[in-house]
Amino acid sequence: MKRSEFPSLGFGVGLRRPHYGEILETRPAMDWFEAIAENFMVAGGRPLEVIDGVREHYPVVMHGVSLSIGSTDPLNRVYLRDLAALARRLEPAWISDHLCWTGVGGRNLHDLLPLPHTEEAIHHVARRIREVQDLLGRRILIENISSYLTYADSRLTEWEFLTAVADEADCAILLDINNIYVNAFNHRFDAHRYIDAVPAQRVAQFHLAGHADHGSYLLDTHDHPVRPEVWELYEYAVGRLGAVSTLIEWDDDIPEFAVLAATAGEARERAARVLGTTLAAAGAIGAASRIEPVR
Amino acid sequence: MDKEQDDGVGLRRIQEILYRLIVAPDGVAKGLAQQEVTMPAGGLAALIAGDDRMTAAERVEIYANGYFFRLLDVLKEDYPATLAVVGADAFHNLATGYLIEYPPTAPSIYHAGSKFADYLGTHPLRARWPYVADLARLERATLESFHAADAPALDAGALRAMAPARWPTLALRAHPATRLVESGWRVDEVARAVADGARAGATIATPAPAGASVAIVVWRRDTRVAYRAAERGEDEALRLVLAAGGASAGSTLAAICEAIAARVDPADDLPALINRMLARWLADGLLTGIEH
Repeated sequence: MKRSEFPSLGFGVGLRRPHYGEILETRPAMDWFEAIAENFMVAGGRPLEVIDGVREHYPVVMHGVSLSIGSTDPLNRVYLRDLAALARRLEPAWISDHLCWTGVGGRNLHDLLPLPHTEEAIHHVARRIREVQDLLGRRILIENISSYLTYADSRLTEWEFLTAVADEADCAILLDINNIYVNAFNHRFDAHRYIDAVPAQRVAQFHLAGHADHGSYLLDTHDHPVRPEVWELYEYAVGRLGAVSTLIEWDDDIPEFAVLAATAGEARERAARVLGTTLAAAGAIGAASRIEPVR
Repeated sequence: MDKEQDDGVGLRRIQEILYRLIVAPDGVAKGLAQQEVTMPAGGLAALIAGDDRMTAAERVEIYANGYFFRLLDVLKEDYPATLAVVGADAFHNLATGYLIEYPPTAPSIYHAGSKFADYLGTHPLRARWPYVADLARLERATLESFHAADAPALDAGALRAMAPARWPTLALRAHPATRLVESGWRVDEVARAVADGARAGATIATPAPAGASVAIVVWRRDTRVAYRAAERGEDEALRLVLAAGGASAGSTLAAICEAIAARVDPADDLPALINRMLARWLADGLLTGIEH
């Protein structure tokens, strides 16, 4: 897989309902938007009007939450058909979902459940990712999730598992820096080792978000600003992996759009500082894609 | 048994057990104690590793809480008027019961609450709030209308361009976002009172609705959903138009007029009534396309 297959889009934010009107009416400066695919997998009405309007003026990436790539249920053909139809409509820069399962036995938990880090799970998931990629006619990105439990079956570290799945499926990786931080605390590993170990050429996007501290565990809530420790880890990731497309996620207690835009701006400044250069804002994103990581 | 020792519990079994524990109505610990789930030899420890911070059951409980409260939030957002009527505590219990009877199956969380009115229709709470299932049905209809397929609204000009002699055989089709909700109570007034109260940021008062047979028209125009009580005769006309749908031709204007005539007072000015009704349907975009 070549890095150039996923050029840097720059610094974007997740498209969220409270901001729809403002984005469509004022067209704020923003490199790109990430749309939750399921929010727009509807027959018609306002959601499609919104996403068409956004797509007209910005690069858009589709981020799914319901693929359930790790489930032992068969892949949901209707869901995949609808996902492919939305992709034809939006022509997104890429499509991503999570390395997880969301339900079993025909039931949906509407949550991102972790997988055991086993050979069985690697082969199972990789085979299904290949099937989805064949169906969509493009490589997808899989994202590392936050988790709150460890399976007794697991024999590999999370980064070994993620790497093995991505290599066997020949897919790209959406590296969520906050999820690495959360899991490093919850499962007591060194977050830097994780970032050192992921296959650099597969990392096509970063996620940044806030989490909540529950004392005995960290919860990935997306309802806080990005924490300083996560910003530090982001800088470390940029140092190793370069100017990867970066996206700010905020899903609860969503602030004004300007706060999200400022957070994307902070990511840009921090990445530029690490790389010892400036990263141009929207309109000149071609320049950012040519910046090579500092090794 | 040997297989379990070699390969562990296995992916399928892990997922089935974890699912059952997460949705266990009285929490993970009780779910385990009541043996609602057949565990592998070695119990939960054979599945999930606990540590000095949290036990394995406490870790599963994080997911169980996440499951319930995420779906409770979806139901609250989808059914604000129902919530206002029954109150937060009763609504919480309704959500618990609903999720047991109708666990989510669809990939999109939009569908998680789609059977809520059906659930309310058989719930003992009906003794206190007999209209609450209809209220929820109206709220669902507005959501369905919001996401329904796009289609061009029938243009009044296209109708006027046609010779009046051809009108009786014209087949009218409902727009995909048009719905009709029938009730024995004015639940539209309850829904409106709650929406107005929410907009004004005021405490939401929900007086019991008048007991009156009503058909509530739900429609979408320019991506906005609206609803109102149908006029006398209009309900039967819309029923005919909506029943046509799908591949079959729409109901003819002649059949619609007959239906209205049968329902209104003989003293009423029938042509004026039909004209007014059609003009309103066209202005609101209740119809799409005509066949002739």
